[in-house]
Amino acid sequence: MTKTVTLLVGTKKGLFQLKSDADRKKWAVEGPYGAPAPIHHASFDPRDRSMYAAINSTWGGSRIEYSRDLGKTWTVSKNPAFPAGADRTFYQTWHIEPGHPKTPNVVWAGIEPAALFKSEDRGETWSLNTALDDQPSRAKWVPGFGGMGLHSIAIDAADPKFMQVGISVGGVYTSKDGGASWVQDNTQKGGPEDRPDVFGCIHKLLAHPKVSGVRFMRVHVDVFWRDPGETTWTFRTPGLPTNFGFAAAIHPRDPKTAWCIPLDDRKRTAVDGIAVYKTSDRGATWARHDAGLPKGAPLESLREGMDNDDFDEVGVYFGTANGDVYASRDEGRSWDRIAQYLPYVTSVHAATIG
Amino acid sequence: MIRVLLHGAWRNFAGGAREVPLEARTLGEVLAALASAHPALKERLRDEHGRLRPHLALFVNDEDARLLGGEAAALKDGDIVHVIPALSGGTFDLTFAGGSTHKREGTT
Repeated sequence: MTKTVTLLVGTKKGLFQLKSDADRKKWAVEGPYGAPAPIHHASFDPRDRSMYAAINSTWGGSRIEYSRDLGKTWTVSKNPAFPAGADRTFYQTWHIEPGHPKTPNVVWAGIEPAALFKSEDRGETWSLNTALDDQPSRAKWVPGFGGMGLHSIAIDAADPKFMQVGISVGGVYTSKDGGASWVQDNTQKGGPEDRPDVFGCIHKLLAHPKVSGVRFMRVHVDVFWRDPGETTWTFRTPGLPTNFGFAAAIHPRDPKTAWCIPLDDRKRTAVDGIAVYKTSDRGATWARHDAGLPKGAPLESLREGMDNDDFDEVGVYFGTANGDVYASRDEGRSWDRIAQYLPYVTSVHAATIG
Repeated sequence: MIRVLLHGAWRNFAGGAREVPLEARTLGEVLAALASAHPALKERLRDEHGRLRPHLALFVNDEDARLLGGEAAALKDGDIVHVIPALSGGTFDLTFAGGSTHKREGTT
């Protein structure tokens, strides 16, 4: 079957799908679905070709929907729910992560207030991960600017029981038993030593999809890398123009390559114009790439705003707060705008289909 | 018979139904019967702890149901219950004739 790519683009006014063939030159824009509800995140599950959408509606409360026909029709799941007597109420979904290929029916969801939910029936029902919820350190979690959410669910390439979650603002927790127990995992190596809370506000934590143990982490301040077997986070900000940002992606095969979009930490927009920074050496050095991007444009890309496809020459994509979506067909070296005038883009997920 | 009129987004959760006729004596019974008739509405009307969701405005005929006792509001045959998606607009105070003040949060 010929491979195609569909970008699931979540916006503040519904979910759009941008579709292209293997050339990735011409794009068709479909949608929005679910407008005017904001879509915090949408994802594609290559195991069974399901799609999931975090529809954080004002009316009727937030909900997760799933599609079994590549986005043609959607079904509302049973809401994630805190147990009776809990002091919290499900507010909205921040991230939906398909599980490991060895756990075929498992899907994970990170929500606000920060908590991890697991589905064992392909997203139809959800149950609270009580081991994380019972962490005594949960009392120290606080909301970031965007709320207090669990947004990163990084599942190891080889071991479905080895996973991390990232929380804003609550740091990283690691489990080696599939979520039955968790430990805080915030020890850094090589970074500034005058910020003991440096790992409080995680912005994006990614597991390499092919190489066990490789992680790339975008924190509120600074970026970090972890190689197989390591138990600390290696400081990798030098070479980036700022230490702040949200959007990040990791190469689908090469365990040394990743991308991110640095922003000014006060304006929350790109400095010296929007640009993507790429590392090919595990964050030791970074190269700026802005060919094809609007020169000097102070754009912003959010936490879920960047992703990549799985083609031989990897396509990288990001969306912006002003409603643009940009694509690179050469692993980030050059860019084209493939959509504009969309609502505020909150998430981009690249589904390689076929 | 109580006529329940679903407005805006609430119709989407009831298969597009605009009106649902029900037998009920209180507003609480209306909501229970509504969720029974259209199960998809159950999680949309209330959160997991049974609380009515924000941005849900309920009117009995022309009156805000909160001023009639909320879910305990008594209904009579022929009453119309409106289920309306409320628009957010911050917090403000309504001062009624006679000086009583009713604080409304999050709805305009």
